[in-house]
Amino acid sequence: MKVTSRSLLMTGALAATTAIVLSGCATEPEAPQFEGSLTVWVDADRAGVLEEVAAQFEEERGVTVELVTKEFGAIRDDFITQAPTGNGPDIIVGAHDWLGKLVQNGVVAPLELGDKASEFQEVAISAMSYEGQTYGLPYSVENIAMIRNTALVSEQPETFDELLELGEAAGTEYSFLVGLDPNAADPYHLYPLQASFGAPVFEITADGTYDPTALALGNEGGEAFATALAEWGAAGVLNTNITGDIAREEFVAGKSPFFLTGPWNIPAISEAGIEYAIEPIPTAGGETASPFVGVQGFFISARSENTLAANEFLVNYIGTEAVQTALYEVGGRAPALLTAFDAAASNADVAAFGEVGANGNPMPNVPAMDVVWSDWGTTEVAIINGQGDPVELWRAMVESIQSKIDG
Amino acid sequence: MSIHPTASSVAAATATPPPAPPAPVRRIRQARSTRGLIMTIALLSILDAIAVFALFMLFLQEEWLLVGIVLAVTVLLNVIYLRPGWLPAKYLAPGLVFLAIFQIFVVVYSGYIAFTNYGDGRNGSKDDAIQTIVLTAQERVPDSPTYRLTVLEQFGEYFFLVTDPTGEVLLGSADQPLEPVGDFGTDSTGKADSVPGFTTLTFNDLLGNQRAITDLAVQLSDDPNDGALRTPDGSSAYLYLSSLEYDEATDTFVDRSGTVYRDGGDGAFVNDSGRELTPGWTINVGFDNFITAFTTENIRGPLISVTIWTFAFAILSVVTTFALGLFLAIVFNKPLMRGKKIYRIIMILPYAFPGFLSGLVWLGLLNQDFGYVNQVIFGGASIPWLTDPWLAKFSVLLVNLWLGFPYMFLICTGALQSIPEELTEAATVDGARPWAVFRLIKFPLLLVSVAPLLISSFAFNFNNFNIIYMLTGGGPRDVTAGVDAGATDILITLVYKVAFGEGTGRDYGLASAFAILIFLIVATVSIISFRQTKALEELN
Amino acid sequence: MTSTARIIPATRRKGFLYWARDTGWRHLIGLVMLVFAAFPLLYVLSASLNPSGTLVGSNDLFRTIDFGNYVRLFQLPQQPFAAWFLNTMIIGSVAALGTVFLGALAAYAFSRMRFTGRRVGLLTLLLVQMFPQLLGVVAIFLLLTGIGEIFPAIGIGTQTGLILVYLGGALGVNTYLMYGFFNTVPVSIDEAAKIDGASHARIFFTIILRLVAPILAVVGLLSFIGSTSEFVIASIVLTDPQTQTLAVGLYQFVSQETSRNWTIFSAGAVLAALPVVALFLYLQKYIIGGLTAGAVK
Repeated sequence: MKVTSRSLLMTGALAATTAIVLSGCATEPEAPQFEGSLTVWVDADRAGVLEEVAAQFEEERGVTVELVTKEFGAIRDDFITQAPTGNGPDIIVGAHDWLGKLVQNGVVAPLELGDKASEFQEVAISAMSYEGQTYGLPYSVENIAMIRNTALVSEQPETFDELLELGEAAGTEYSFLVGLDPNAADPYHLYPLQASFGAPVFEITADGTYDPTALALGNEGGEAFATALAEWGAAGVLNTNITGDIAREEFVAGKSPFFLTGPWNIPAISEAGIEYAIEPIPTAGGETASPFVGVQGFFISARSENTLAANEFLVNYIGTEAVQTALYEVGGRAPALLTAFDAAASNADVAAFGEVGANGNPMPNVPAMDVVWSDWGTTEVAIINGQGDPVELWRAMVESIQSKIDG
Repeated sequence: MSIHPTASSVAAATATPPPAPPAPVRRIRQARSTRGLIMTIALLSILDAIAVFALFMLFLQEEWLLVGIVLAVTVLLNVIYLRPGWLPAKYLAPGLVFLAIFQIFVVVYSGYIAFTNYGDGRNGSKDDAIQTIVLTAQERVPDSPTYRLTVLEQFGEYFFLVTDPTGEVLLGSADQPLEPVGDFGTDSTGKADSVPGFTTLTFNDLLGNQRAITDLAVQLSDDPNDGALRTPDGSSAYLYLSSLEYDEATDTFVDRSGTVYRDGGDGAFVNDSGRELTPGWTINVGFDNFITAFTTENIRGPLISVTIWTFAFAILSVVTTFALGLFLAIVFNKPLMRGKKIYRIIMILPYAFPGFLSGLVWLGLLNQDFGYVNQVIFGGASIPWLTDPWLAKFSVLLVNLWLGFPYMFLICTGALQSIPEELTEAATVDGARPWAVFRLIKFPLLLVSVAPLLISSFAFNFNNFNIIYMLTGGGPRDVTAGVDAGATDILITLVYKVAFGEGTGRDYGLASAFAILIFLIVATVSIISFRQTKALEELN
Repeated sequence: MTSTARIIPATRRKGFLYWARDTGWRHLIGLVMLVFAAFPLLYVLSASLNPSGTLVGSNDLFRTIDFGNYVRLFQLPQQPFAAWFLNTMIIGSVAALGTVFLGALAAYAFSRMRFTGRRVGLLTLLLVQMFPQLLGVVAIFLLLTGIGEIFPAIGIGTQTGLILVYLGGALGVNTYLMYGFFNTVPVSIDEAAKIDGASHARIFFTIILRLVAPILAVVGLLSFIGSTSEFVIASIVLTDPQTQTLAVGLYQFVSQETSRNWTIFSAGAVLAALPVVALFLYLQKYIIGGLTAGAVK
């Protein structure tokens, strides 16, 4: 009896299985994805603005835009690993210094801006270029500048030494503040001072781009900067224990007349009621103290099947004044599009940072930068903390970077 | 005196059941209820339905290997659950299926990558690489004008109808260079938008076949050196000249100066002077990565000191977190103690917050000049917690203790419940002091159940990349020593620096080879210590 | 230790000294641990109550008490905190339940049955999880994309897919924890039930599982915490903000150096820790319910 009921059940099971399978098969295989659907990776800050543009694009062009929110820092590496599988996005938002890596990995497609290129800040376009090709649609430009507490020091210094004197005279706890890291210093924030000694990272070629094979860090200017770093470290002007957070808190508390930082700290400063001026960075070595300029923008995937739609979306939608202005309003970064920048420049802070940035160098976007940053930072820490002869440390660093670049 | 017999009698009670004789097995089969059988069959039916659907889809995609695997697994699962007996398999199968799909696959994949050159600039197929090189080699001719464009179609072929800046209207296709046309219609702006006999395509028409449109190159004239028109957007065209030509027959790229780039066998096109075109592609490199792993100077130099510290860090992390966790579990395992609920909750808190957030807070606390620890606890001292080689080691261990003890506390609290109260009671009655009770009865029993967890915790800390990276980044580094290893660098962070931070960028192949080597070390240590624990003795 | 009935009269007689020796020192340790465990988190709490502060820029804690950050958390359209919270609860609970279930099944087999490959199997479970997962993310992405082409419901972008990935880790360390505990349940109980005619499934589900409740609770809690705080895989799998978990979502507030919002992030982290605390409170009676072995006999 038991055996019979068991086999009966087995038959039932088979029947049930077949039925489920058949019903599964009977449903139409899903229609192929609408070919005009664009996938865009953005970070949460920018997603809001893009949502409106996406809706407009969808309405006017009949192309759905799917916004995928990702953490900004993860976009580059995820894009590099996912694009080659053919399942990556069509468009990503990113920073211009990723470009070398993106091109090296063959995941980004050139973008022809045509006549529109002239409508953007020159530095933005050159930052978005790599080995003669333009790859991205820039939307924002940012750089650091010297913030002066005008209540503490009323006079704008011409040189860095003068700045230190004025800072000293102000009688505050610090004469000057910049956020560093105890293990990695901050080559980005210290770069303007280094540049004023005439030592960029790579030689700048005739067309204004970097030559990644010619390391310029090791020139005489670089060594002079190393010596100056050691002096500033010994004098307590630079302190690697003052992190970005601490520097901001101390400046906001009125404990220093000068603060070398970017627009991202301005809201906290103005909320605290500090009277401030945004000024060019005074030179320490005699030449212009050019800050690094960082440009953010949008890139199209080399694996995108929606090349036309992606191009159209970037150039004729993201590249418009309305969108660039909206992006500026949400992120606080100065727009790359000239008309939008002029509109934003009615804000004195934007105009002032923009003026400083006009003398800046785009942050190098060559892939070798990954190697440079780490050695550069560690060595600056050692020099500032007096752990050896500055020039020797600097030379060892240049040698190490060179050997890593050579592989 | 009476303690030992008690302990061993418990061990005997908890030890292996005798192998089940045949009779009970049959009884189990008979006892299998009809309800249970129906449940089994219902679940299997769903599973089979899913499997058949997957097989059908895989069949269509001609993924034969996967078809075979899915089929084999499905049949196996059906046999396991329909056949009487094979009881262990019935209990293990569900977990094993997930394990095989999501964990074993990852291991196998990493193992496979170790034998390739996968990494920055080498992450796709050769065809993709060629396609990308061709794409990026298209350079717009300097100062060339913008042509206004309409895309036309005739008999399935696309044509470019362009209006040049002087107002001249030209027509061409992939096979036919641009030629003037006489008969055309224009739109309001004077741009030519139609030719009789051709269909004008709107933007939306183009969307259906975008790649074909953007890949289309229409030669300006019969001479290829004059360049070709291409369109990025379907409404304007620009004149491009390719800086590189691909020759399929010889599998080479030739640039305008005549330099030849060949497949160098290293996953990239390379010219005689060694310059590579980007991107390259992934190839199989055999044991190259393992050889590199053994010969890399940046690893070999500091290898001994880093390995010692890695072991020290992993062992000390386990010992400190376990000791503190166990101690606290015992302290608060007191039935009538007031407020222990609150203590226990506070003890869980470090575990409930995101680890990197806690790490950043500790970074602030330990700041040499401004941190709370120096400012308040040590009265303004300037102790270099994270920048002195030895103190940094200590700080890393301290923060890891903070992050890890709640886990051990939870586990020990749970494991303590498995020790029968009678044992300790009996021992206490026999006059054993609490410490002796703990040392001779509770602790050995506890160790039996948590020893594998300690081994696993050792393995976790051996590869605890995050804590090191977050707090010190491996530093402080002695820049004068000429090696990349810092005082707190463990093997995995060193590997990270070498595989991801030198030369061409991230080298996943090399990293995977290192991962396998590190895994071999950890696995060996684990197997040895596993043998030493009672855990295995008990298995037999 | 000793039964409480005997202690109480003793306490009355010997008074404070006895209390101090028996229980008091435990409070002392409790207080020390309270400071050690909770102090760093005060920074997080302080930052969460400050409308415009940094996380560790100042040792001047609790300068302002303002709940604005908590309110704002729920008002950001692009960062749907409430949805994240709900998602985290769902994913965490399902993954925890699944882990406990799969792990208990396996632990039961390892503890009660003898079969070839058992020893090797146990060891393998431990070893598999020791593999450094440098490429784990890439592999999981490829895997889920592949699966998604056949079953879109469990591919990239779905919470179900993420839960399945988490269940892949169900066997492993947790299995050992349960295995050790299962071994302490006397086999005589199974035998007795077997003689009464209970099937193996019945013994497992209705008898054994009840007896090992404390360890199930511990494993459940560990797995809940593990899957709710997991970031790397979740950030790859979950792409739509509405589907993301707290770990992924919150990190976006601070991922970019130039637009870090520590104060909102801290408020989110404080709220995110509450469910863990609540779950622990709830499970505590199972974890510390204790006297299981005694109850059996």
